[in-house]
Amino acid sequence: MSRLQADHLYKVFGRRPDEAVKKLADGADRDELRADGTTAAVIDASFVVEPGQIFVVMGLSGSGKSTLLRMLNGLLEPTAGRVLFDGKDLTALSPRDLRTVRSTKISMVFQHFALFPHRSVLENAAYGLEVQGVPRAEREARAVEALELCGLAGWEKSWPDELSGGMQQRVGLARALATDADLLLMDESFSALDPLIRRDMQDQLLELQKRLKKTIVFITHDLNEAMRLGDRIAVMRDGRIVQLGTAEDILIRPANDYVASFIQDVDRSRVLTAASVMTTPEHPAPDSCGCETVGPDTLVADLCAVSARVPHPVAVKDTDGAVLGVVPQSRLIGFIGDEQRPPLACATGTEVISHA
Amino acid sequence: MPRLPLGPWVDSSVDWLQAQLAWLFDAVSAAVTGLYDGIDAVLSAPEPLLFAGILAVVAWWLRGLSAGVLAFAGFALVDSIELWDDAMSTLSLVLVATLVTLAIAIPLGIWAARSKTVSAVMRPVLDFMQTMPAMVYLIPGIIFFGVGVVPGIIATIIFALPPGVRMTELGIRQVDGELVEAAEAFGTSPRATLLRVQLPLALPTIMAGVNQVIMLGLSMVVIAGMVGGGGLGGAVYRAIGNVDIGLGFEAGVSIVILAMYLDRMTGALGRQVSPLGRRALAKARAAVAARTGAKVWGHRPQPVTALVGVVVLALVAGGMGFLGAGSPATATAGGGKNTGHGKEISLGYIPWDEGIASTFLWKELLERRGYEVETRQLEAGALYTGLAGGQIDFQTDAWLPVTHAQYWEKYRNKLEDLGSWYGPTSLELSVPSYMKGVDSLDDLKGRSGEFKGRIIGIEPSAGMMGILKDKVLNDYGLKGEYKVVDGSTPGMLAELKRAYDKKEPVVVTLWSPHWAYSTYDLKKLKDPKGSWGKGDGVHTLARKGFTADNPEVGAWLKNFELTEKQLTDLEAAIQQSGKGKEQEAVRGWLEKNPGLPEKLTP
Repeated sequence: MSRLQADHLYKVFGRRPDEAVKKLADGADRDELRADGTTAAVIDASFVVEPGQIFVVMGLSGSGKSTLLRMLNGLLEPTAGRVLFDGKDLTALSPRDLRTVRSTKISMVFQHFALFPHRSVLENAAYGLEVQGVPRAEREARAVEALELCGLAGWEKSWPDELSGGMQQRVGLARALATDADLLLMDESFSALDPLIRRDMQDQLLELQKRLKKTIVFITHDLNEAMRLGDRIAVMRDGRIVQLGTAEDILIRPANDYVASFIQDVDRSRVLTAASVMTTPEHPAPDSCGCETVGPDTLVADLCAVSARVPHPVAVKDTDGAVLGVVPQSRLIGFIGDEQRPPLACATGTEVISHA
Repeated sequence: MPRLPLGPWVDSSVDWLQAQLAWLFDAVSAAVTGLYDGIDAVLSAPEPLLFAGILAVVAWWLRGLSAGVLAFAGFALVDSIELWDDAMSTLSLVLVATLVTLAIAIPLGIWAARSKTVSAVMRPVLDFMQTMPAMVYLIPGIIFFGVGVVPGIIATIIFALPPGVRMTELGIRQVDGELVEAAEAFGTSPRATLLRVQLPLALPTIMAGVNQVIMLGLSMVVIAGMVGGGGLGGAVYRAIGNVDIGLGFEAGVSIVILAMYLDRMTGALGRQVSPLGRRALAKARAAVAARTGAKVWGHRPQPVTALVGVVVLALVAGGMGFLGAGSPATATAGGGKNTGHGKEISLGYIPWDEGIASTFLWKELLERRGYEVETRQLEAGALYTGLAGGQIDFQTDAWLPVTHAQYWEKYRNKLEDLGSWYGPTSLELSVPSYMKGVDSLDDLKGRSGEFKGRIIGIEPSAGMMGILKDKVLNDYGLKGEYKVVDGSTPGMLAELKRAYDKKEPVVVTLWSPHWAYSTYDLKKLKDPKGSWGKGDGVHTLARKGFTADNPEVGAWLKNFELTEKQLTDLEAAIQQSGKGKEQEAVRGWLEKNPGLPEKLTP
């Protein structure tokens, strides 16, 4: 379990990058630099990924998220700033030491799978171990294990071009897991898959994560995916991180209009939990009514179903059975509709006021 | 514009290189010759049909049964037209050139793929190598490396290198960037990335480059034949020189058979050695098997079976070669005492009839006296360069003082003139004897309609073409009436044959001695005004110092003389016995001329 920290990372392509970093630190923006022929891909990115967390970097193409990811394992050298991994400064390592770190501690899953077409599924999965110099028998055993973990038992002898996209990405995932690296970098790993398969893979990743507790940095341009997977999410725009927080933080308190415009399309009911919509009961609710109750982590989507069956506000209880709060139906509907105000009184001649 | 002395600069730098880097050129020459001799010895050792069998099994393994059968048929054809040894020499030449080319091209290609600067610098150099006409660097090649297979191989390497480099670079650059990144992301070192990812994936493209290299190498064998490379190229070159259409075709077909075999085999090998290719093959086979079931003609043995077949045939071949080696070498015939004691003498000749006749006459005479004689067929420029460089000891076919004047002027300090053995030669215009009423140059006047106003000439650079255009036509008032057609000697001879067979009027530039006079019934047009000038003598030229090293041979050559009857008889005898049996023809002819060997080599 390792802690990853990015400390004021900059990446500038073009001439005289150091001057550009100085200008950026003084508040110059990307467009000013572009006139000089330099491109600022990542500007002053700082964050911490705690062990066992899935940290999602979300942004549109050109926002610098892929560049940021490649600085984390040293594929790109930061123009300024540091990457601390387990307290070690990766940016200060020699190329050889950096390669050792990459082969043992950090692995990567790619957008277009990047499987080696001249190697069988097993050889692909065993690649990282082969680079480490692990003897054949051991590395094949470990690769078989990793493939099983990803649901590919029995496909070892196949070739990448015989597999569907989803299965190819499972091989990519198995290749990354086989080395037992603590840090997993995933570069838009599910973006090239069909929506159904993508969902499947997301579920599988969450399932695996429960067991393996890796530290994961996941890149995506899909906010729904970000919210499904991310313990914490960084939203990037034009090279800068514009908001850093949990899915609920971003949904409930978007940092600016840009983020707000993003979250419009998000299915809120699958992000928000009972804990974030509940309110304090006005009078102590009867413990004994025997109606269905929910936990604080229950998703709003599931809460709606319960609420439909229960004749009064649904009680939210913790594991000990203590009542934390209640969710009235009106409040539930207000959250889904993004309407925080209470209902208005009826005006004459008007039947129902509906919220858009 | 001032004249930029580019040519003189090149001249002086060639001289400088020759003087300063002689050790390097000698070392390269020795290495390449050693490689060539080694490969040639291996390829020529087995019985032709056995070796054809080995090649056929390889074809069977790589491409299937039909390919194997066709390969065997092709090579059996080469053997039956008696070009097997030439074909093996050519194959060795191509293999050596290919090996050296790849040893240089692949590292260069890898370097170019990794560095944009290297790639940018390399591109014009490669263009230069690929488009510079080969003859331009062949002559310097001879100066540096001497005549023989080496300059031919070097020229082939220069010509074939660019596609090897380009395809390697292209292949590596084509490898998906994400795959290279994936390798890096797993901590692969640059070297291992190259070996594990880039090269395996670039292999199909690199093998296409190898294929190109081999094909270009084969296309250069004729040019290599002109500088003493021998093999099929030499046969083609000789055939062109003598308008021997049959031999030219035979040699050409042999080159085509070699080319097709090498092309198909390297193509198939490319699919076999590259993992991707094997994968594609397996898929294709599975698809075919699913559709139609196994086919006999597409059948391919397991690699192990093929290997066993090749090894068995090779062992049989090796065993036979071993037994064959037991038979004693043919002892030198003749009664003269052994003066040479195995001393080596190298003769060069231009494939002209009097050159072939006199060269093989001397080869036979010198061998009877205990010398080891080696003969090399060369293009005129290459012959003089080799002679001046000392790789050739002497040649018997120098037309002096007129025809070969340029060569003599250039190299006179490095040559010894051992005098004329035949002469005088003459230059003339000739017509077939069926052209009644045309006996003298004067008779051509007013008959241009009949000859379509054309005099069929030879290479415009030849001395006699200058004399014809500047002097002869003026003296006889033919200027304006006739146009001299520039061309080549083979072209002129081909036109003569065509017209002669159809009994059409034709007038050609010709010289004596020439075999055309014994093959066709021709009339030399009289030259009452003496415009052509006095004829040349056919001289023997030796490298500087040859007579000092070999006083006896020098004395024999100085006294060497043949009459017209002797020479034409000897030429006719060689023509009749055919290619490759020149020396036997000489022996037969000597038997009919008793006492001549004693006279020529007392």
